[in-house]
Amino acid sequence: MARMKFLCDSDRCIECNACVTACKNEHEVPWGINRRRVVTIGDGKPGERSISMACMHCTDAPCAAVCPVACFYGTEDGLVLHDKDLCIGCGYCFYACPFGAPQYPRVGNFGGRGKMDKCTYCAGGPQQDNSAVEYMQYGSNRIAEGKLPLCAEMCSTKALLAGDGEIIASIYKERVQQRGYGSGAWGWRTAYREELPA
Amino acid sequence: MNEQDDPRLNARRRFFGALGLAAVAAPAAAFEADGGTGGLPPQKESEAEKRKPRYRETDHVRAFYRTNRY
Repeated sequence: MARMKFLCDSDRCIECNACVTACKNEHEVPWGINRRRVVTIGDGKPGERSISMACMHCTDAPCAAVCPVACFYGTEDGLVLHDKDLCIGCGYCFYACPFGAPQYPRVGNFGGRGKMDKCTYCAGGPQQDNSAVEYMQYGSNRIAEGKLPLCAEMCSTKALLAGDGEIIASIYKERVQQRGYGSGAWGWRTAYREELPA
Repeated sequence: MNEQDDPRLNARRRFFGALGLAAVAAPAAAFEADGGTGGLPPQKESEAEKRKPRYRETDHVRAFYRTNRY
């Protein structure tokens, strides 16, 4: 079975932020929340690197491990999704996530942050596929439509890859062989493990 | 003329009053966008249904893989 993954080829990312814009537009993400961000290291200096970051849908997701209401669930595609009806906005997942993926709509009284929002890999949530209520809570469900996340599909330099982990790894491997060097599949060692510890 | 009877001042008060109400109402409207269903009835999937695989290698997906090899 296919295991969905993201891979950002930092040799190709030009920090255009099209992935960020595409994501916000596709899901009508509320003001102040970015499900995806472009992080640039050494901005303006020779050798600067940009990486497009969102939820990596980890194998052993730390967010799910710390959630006190167990609102996270894994799908058979390897995606980590969450149920906004269960989320209490405690913020534990934000502290646990190595990628800073969980986002909160506001900071309110008594520490209330609202329902957590994060990348769904364009796979919606626990509502019926492509229903109006699913779109309202989680955004569009492109995976159920037979498509891939829009951020990756929109990437003009093909820096951001999404899809079956084995296929995108082979695409990246071809690039590395052609270049003669590799900058590494950023975040893969942290996010994806072949085996879960007992 | 009494300051409270001045129509210009009253209009100004009404304008700022409406502005204040809008400022209070705006976060309430945004709350819908952060996890509310916007008044729509929930259509929850079963435990098995929400985890089932949805990825399909359609022509659309194959075209994505092919163009990424260029």
